Amino acid sequence: MENSGYTTITRQSGLMKEMRVVANNIANAATSGFRQEGVIFSEYVKSVDGASSLSMGQADARQTSFAQGALTQTGGQFDFAIEGDGFFLVETPLGERLTRAGAFSPNADGDLVTPDGYRVLDAGGAPVFIPPGAADIAVSADGTISTNGDPVGQLGLVQPRNPQGLVREDGVMFRADEGYEAAEQGRILQSFVENSNVNPILQLTRMIEVQRAYELGASFVEAEDERVRQAMRTMSQ
Amino acid sequence: MRALKIAATGMSAQQMRVETISNNLSNMSTTGYNARRAEFADLHYQQMSRPGTVNATDGTVLPTGVQLGLGVRPSAVSVQLQQGSLSATGGDLDLAIEGTGFLEVTLPSGQTAYTRDGGLKRDAEGLIVTSDGYPVEPEIVIPDDARSISINTSGEVFAYFSDATDAELLGQFNLAGFTNAKGLEALGGNLFAETEASGAAIVSTPGEDGLGTVRQGYLESSSVDAVREITELIEAQRGYEMNAKVISAADQMMGATTQIR
Repeated sequence: MENSGYTTITRQSGLMKEMRVVANNIANAATSGFRQEGVIFSEYVKSVDGASSLSMGQADARQTSFAQGALTQTGGQFDFAIEGDGFFLVETPLGERLTRAGAFSPNADGDLVTPDGYRVLDAGGAPVFIPPGAADIAVSADGTISTNGDPVGQLGLVQPRNPQGLVREDGVMFRADEGYEAAEQGRILQSFVENSNVNPILQLTRMIEVQRAYELGASFVEAEDERVRQAMRTMSQ
Repeated sequence: MRALKIAATGMSAQQMRVETISNNLSNMSTTGYNARRAEFADLHYQQMSRPGTVNATDGTVLPTGVQLGLGVRPSAVSVQLQQGSLSATGGDLDLAIEGTGFLEVTLPSGQTAYTRDGGLKRDAEGLIVTSDGYPVEPEIVIPDDARSISINTSGEVFAYFSDATDAELLGQFNLAGFTNAKGLEALGGNLFAETEASGAAIVSTPGEDGLGTVRQGYLESSSVDAVREITELIEAQRGYEMNAKVISAADQMMGATTQIR
């Protein structure tokens, strides 16, 4: 195969990856706390012996948007949304994880847990305990939980030291390999959840672009095929 | 072509959301019904290249890497425990619970169930039962010659007889509370059963342990907010259509591939 073919293939497989990312964003448009992501294409230059170098396109980086999602009022006393920067801290069997999805509820032991049953932690890494039978649970902007005016705990609000290094995991959670620190800028709102920050219009237009670019690439491969055939025919006459 | 399957998970999630909404709307006038909300979480991410991978040729480190998500899954359909508004009925056996507690009911199987539907009745023996005829725990019998019934906020049931001026105490209702009332299993018919997730029932008299009080002559309306449900419905329908669009785009991309040659 000639180099034009290789270049097109790198582009096609990159577009295929991007299509998957767009599909994942749209599939998660209703997932609270979800952050949309995009793919970044970069040039990949390969030296070729005795010829000019070959430039290819690679989709090998991604970017997560941390823009604020819209807030939905649910009225649930254990539903929390973060306004501004920061994440809730969750304890999973594989270690501590960060999440923006704040639809929690107390479990049978009184620990505040996520829908998957993982315990929510305070800033010091201890589980947040809601006393059984506690009536009016109120949460202030800094995450302090009080019942009938007595503080009983505080929701941890943290941010990763390196936001670009966050690794996505299932269950709307992120792994911060480089650690986290207390977030100063975020505010916690009770009885709200944060929607995903997926912008469906942008995603759909990007999807159309990706689809058309892919079709263009496919027709380019076809034209190349025809060109080589034509050359073979001309030479063999 | 994984985009097809990813969009399919999105479609089924939105479908589940529509089903939840339609159940809420159909229970708009069910006494003591609490609205439910479908919640979602993203699925596993495939590592195509890990963040932090060192590039062999020049030693640079990949700052972000590539992780490709595989779609969405339902994570919970949770009950939104909010007090519905109280509507005055004037019925002397209509009870509304102001607070988080439940009435205890004994099912024919002997199992204990819990309800917030306080539209109570008398059966042929004068026993206080639910609309479906299940006795309320503890059992309270109203004598035939009782002229009127009065229930105070702590659940004490008094009867007035025509030959006496003083009220006679017939019994007292309990309220049951749960550490995690969202974890109760819905049995239908406004009834709930205890589960591992809800924890054991904390039974006490109304007005204690933060379980709330009872109010005679009122019923708790359903807490479904029609406006919110309809907006959710519009969102869910559009979300469903968008995922369908992704499926057709992915299909056309596959078509472009197959048409080469």
